[in-house]
Amino acid sequence: MTAGLFTDAGLAVLKETQNGDGGWGYHPKSRSRIEPTCWAYCALSSANDSAQVSACSNARRFLLSHQQNEGFWAASPEMKTGNWVTSLASAVLLHEVESEKAALAGISWLCKDYPFDSSPLVRLLGSLRSKTRVSQHNDSYRGWGWTPRTSSWVEPTAFALLALQESRVQLFPAAASERRKLAVALLYDRMCPDGGWNCGNPRVYGVAGQPLVLPTAWALIALHPFPEHECKSQSLAWLENEVPKIESPGSLAVASMCLETYGKKLPAAKFSLHDCSPDSLLQDGIHILAWVCLALNTNRNWPARVGETI
Amino acid sequence: MNLRSRQLVPPFQRPASRVLIRKAFNYQQDLAVLIHESLWEFNLPVQGKTVLLKPNLVGLDPLGVMNTHPAVIAATRESFLRLGAARVLVGDGPAMDRDTHAILESVRLREFMGELGRDFCDLNLDDVDKVVLETHASKLKELFLPKTVLGVDFLVSMPKLKTHHWAGVTLSLKNMFGIVPGSCYGWPKNILHWAGIDRSILDINAAARPDFAIVDGIVGMEGNGPIQGTAKAAGVLLFGDDPVAVDATACRVMALRPEKVPYLARAGTMLGHLDPTKIQQLGEAVSSVRTPFAVLPEFQRLVC
Repeated sequence: MTAGLFTDAGLAVLKETQNGDGGWGYHPKSRSRIEPTCWAYCALSSANDSAQVSACSNARRFLLSHQQNEGFWAASPEMKTGNWVTSLASAVLLHEVESEKAALAGISWLCKDYPFDSSPLVRLLGSLRSKTRVSQHNDSYRGWGWTPRTSSWVEPTAFALLALQESRVQLFPAAASERRKLAVALLYDRMCPDGGWNCGNPRVYGVAGQPLVLPTAWALIALHPFPEHECKSQSLAWLENEVPKIESPGSLAVASMCLETYGKKLPAAKFSLHDCSPDSLLQDGIHILAWVCLALNTNRNWPARVGETI
Repeated sequence: MNLRSRQLVPPFQRPASRVLIRKAFNYQQDLAVLIHESLWEFNLPVQGKTVLLKPNLVGLDPLGVMNTHPAVIAATRESFLRLGAARVLVGDGPAMDRDTHAILESVRLREFMGELGRDFCDLNLDDVDKVVLETHASKLKELFLPKTVLGVDFLVSMPKLKTHHWAGVTLSLKNMFGIVPGSCYGWPKNILHWAGIDRSILDINAAARPDFAIVDGIVGMEGNGPIQGTAKAAGVLLFGDDPVAVDATACRVMALRPEKVPYLARAGTMLGHLDPTKIQQLGEAVSSVRTPFAVLPEFQRLVC
């Protein structure tokens, strides 16, 4: 299957699996959730095709109707507390004029959401408790957690950075610039010793953590607009080296988007994304199908796509 | 939907628990026969029921030392089907890596079990229902848990025999952290760490109590577990109808004192039996399979 044929087939499956409320669950016929809806919406809207307008409009309506008064989104409609999906929803809604206000409310909530582990009080208590530290990262940097009032982790920090795009920074709360700086510093601090990222534990009890594809690729995509840094080149090298070992379509799709963002050619992998069937990808989740559609879409505008490969 | 029973029974009202220890020296032997014979002894009420096997799938594991071995999972599934279960699902929600597909490939689950299709449930992505936590062991008031876990008739916790750098040991009770969905709480499920690992273990197991436990101790992990420790062959499988009793016995096999593991000590007052006089020991004696496991210096107090 060519990239174009896959994308057409994949988008058709996404449209078929859209729930009546305009959202998507993680699997067909499951309850609509924010994350798969964001990715499916992103894949459909990137197609830039009038056939997707209605599905996109319904998806946007689902996202807007599930935003809470405080500006956040909860992972599941049954939940009443905001979490990491607020970054995703804000990022995808920021592209449309009609949903920009909602996106900015989400970003405002994000700017006020500070992880607990980096609060001065928790850091003071931590320094008094023990001289043998489990991990050695710098607690003064602040990113974002998966849930409020916990610790900073790599992927939610990367998603928040994607929402706090530099090009729109004039619209954001004053704290946004400082949060971006701290988040970038946190990502560099949390890089594994030989490049790449895992969830955010570069060392535990002195043992180097093993990087993983997804956190590495999301972190690199989020860091792309920022100045050159040796951590980025080291991690890109790790990712390029890892691609031939990737076993899953989800990781390959995100790695492919990441390398493309940096103008790098995707090294030969064990399988090709074109050869995956959209129906089989559904077993892994709607979001995985959406990632593959995005990775194969040459017109993608988000996550960033930067011109020709080198 | 079969919301799992959450009524707590005080220890003095509980019947004795049963724990069976079987020697099993490697993953190449006929585990299906061994596991079927072992389950048969418990006369489990699984005829026509839906069973969920909850292995410990922590992360990418090409060397096969960190996750419950696929040979054990496959043989257990086959055994429950032979016992008359209508359907045997396998499900987990890996905590540190959201690429469950990659983890399943790295543990070669498909090689041992064939295509599971809809019989594998990524608990990180399942639909959820709110469960009010009535035990108040941690400060969490509620958790959103996978509908599959809450809806099955018979839940089996299938951990690997491992030490743990924060909890001391990770066995069938700690293994239940994997039912907490990453899509709601992240990778890792950090909210549980902030609520207190030991206390969260109690709340989760009270909310979704396993009906049975099977510990893969053929090769376990010692030291800096659950990921970065060292493989340790113990050559055992443990089976039991009380996860607390199974974990207590597993600790004794590792030459560790279960009453010194904070969450196990408390679980012995609310979820099951820790006291060896309340545990009917079947199969091998603990002394005949005792294999001392190394622990981090912080956990030296656990060593017998």
